[in-house]
Amino acid sequence: MVQEALILQDIQIDDFLTIFVSSGLVLVFGGFYVGIYTAVKTKLLKNWAMPFAYLFWILTCYCFYLMGSLMHVNDFTAKALMVAAIGLLLLPHAVYYMQDQVHKKNEH
Amino acid sequence: MANNYLTSESKKLATWYFTFAAILFGAQLLFGLVAAIQFVVPGFLFEILDFSVARMVHINALVVWMVFAMMGSVYWLLPDETGIETVGIGLGKLLYWVFVAAITVVVLVYLFVQVGPADITTIWFINEGREYLEAPRWADIGIVIVVLGFIYNLYATGMKGNRSGIITVLMADMLAFAGIYLAGMGYTDNISMDQFWWWWVIHMWVEATWEVFVGSIAAYGLITMIGAHRKTVEMWLWIEVAMLFGSGILGIGHHYFWIGTPEYWWEIGALFSALEPLPLVAMFIHVLYDWGKMQGEQDAQGKEVSVISNKPAFTWFVLNAFGNFVGAGIWGFFHTFPQVNLYTHGTQFTSAHGHLAFFGAYATILIGMFYLAVQGKNGIKVMYTTKKSIWATCMIFGGVLGMTAALTMAGYVQVLVSRAQMGATWAGYFDGQAGVWFAQGMDWRLIMGVITFVGFIVLMIDLLSIGKAAHHER
Repeated sequence: MVQEALILQDIQIDDFLTIFVSSGLVLVFGGFYVGIYTAVKTKLLKNWAMPFAYLFWILTCYCFYLMGSLMHVNDFTAKALMVAAIGLLLLPHAVYYMQDQVHKKNEH
Repeated sequence: MANNYLTSESKKLATWYFTFAAILFGAQLLFGLVAAIQFVVPGFLFEILDFSVARMVHINALVVWMVFAMMGSVYWLLPDETGIETVGIGLGKLLYWVFVAAITVVVLVYLFVQVGPADITTIWFINEGREYLEAPRWADIGIVIVVLGFIYNLYATGMKGNRSGIITVLMADMLAFAGIYLAGMGYTDNISMDQFWWWWVIHMWVEATWEVFVGSIAAYGLITMIGAHRKTVEMWLWIEVAMLFGSGILGIGHHYFWIGTPEYWWEIGALFSALEPLPLVAMFIHVLYDWGKMQGEQDAQGKEVSVISNKPAFTWFVLNAFGNFVGAGIWGFFHTFPQVNLYTHGTQFTSAHGHLAFFGAYATILIGMFYLAVQGKNGIKVMYTTKKSIWATCMIFGGVLGMTAALTMAGYVQVLVSRAQMGATWAGYFDGQAGVWFAQGMDWRLIMGVITFVGFIVLMIDLLSIGKAAHHER
């Protein structure tokens, strides 16, 4: 019986730099998103800054898409990247909610 | 040291651990410099201290100084967290000397014996040949005994005294940390199986149990240095533990791409590696959030003073949050998917990630703990920076960032030339290394390594002298 082998598609030489930069920017933009969200919620930034947080999340998603497509990821990995992007979107909301509840319990 | 304000035996023992850790830290950097010189001048110390030996001491000293500093950190915080003296402190002191003696003998054997006859006696008495964990079998057993004693002290103290959230996390984490070491002690002549278990130790340490340890120490630091609310900090800690273990354990898949394990590890590795940066983002925000919150409360009361009680230590804690995010997060995410890891695996890209991740995630926070110990030992209420501490921080952090940039450049050349263009062939390997960008990358790595080493010397001078400075509040 011939076992099915997973074969990776070659990455084009010109695409490596874009892959590395977009991979790095995933976390940089992701960090900006979480940071701005947290700063607005803790009143370190005004409310008008919040749309910029979501703008950075959209940029994060674009970088996920760019690196994934240039790497020729398979369907499963593409779904994994989507899960990571949604996880990043929900992360500060969930953490801030819990943080806020604990603060309220402690301070009142 | 002039005055010693430490009344707790546990904290005194912690300073012993920190002292030996600092010595090994110096050894790590020194042998790293030797290896870096050998990339530039290949004949340097040829057949006296070959690259293989210098590299072995460099990376093993790295692991061992961090283990020493971690054990010291636990002995330091135990009395504060539990409210009692550490149980079994006499045993702890005895085991400290056993550990120091064992490590000294192992290093001397590495340096003066170097290689064995490649039979079972080599495994027992010289080295086991597993990167990062090359201690020979007799030392392995010794380390297990020492760590069992350490775990006993931690558990006995935690169960007798007040068991805070931080202590509870540490009790679970240190047990896992110790237990996982056993996975790297077996012997098999199947290289795939050997690598499979060896990665349990390395990966489960640095991407699971050590990260949780860092979370615990960061929590302790935020409470002691800026007065962060314990319940808030401990809630963060539990979230981090869940996220770190949730993504980190199966993230081991990214080490199983090319060692002969089944191909389903590609999917597992890709999925969990994609999730691994999330807790690092959370940890970064955690430190900044608590700092901003506490400073905001202070400012609201009209007190225009900093909430930080130990500026040099807190600087290193903030650098930890940043370095962990950048070194482990960004530089790890670069090459964590199998599609791109096929090209980057084993190049200087890996080395760039290793340097910034080990430094950013672990060295920084452990240096911060050194400063906390200096503060406690000298009875200082609020400790300020000195010129030397600022220089040391800038030189070490700048030096490691510079090394990372240089290694990344060299790795990029290897990816393009050795892998993508020449298909990972023998000739491709040498063509990649002969490129001018690679050679310049190695030159810059050496220059930045020297800056890091000088920064380390300034750091040591500062640690020995900062306690006597007059500008602190006592």
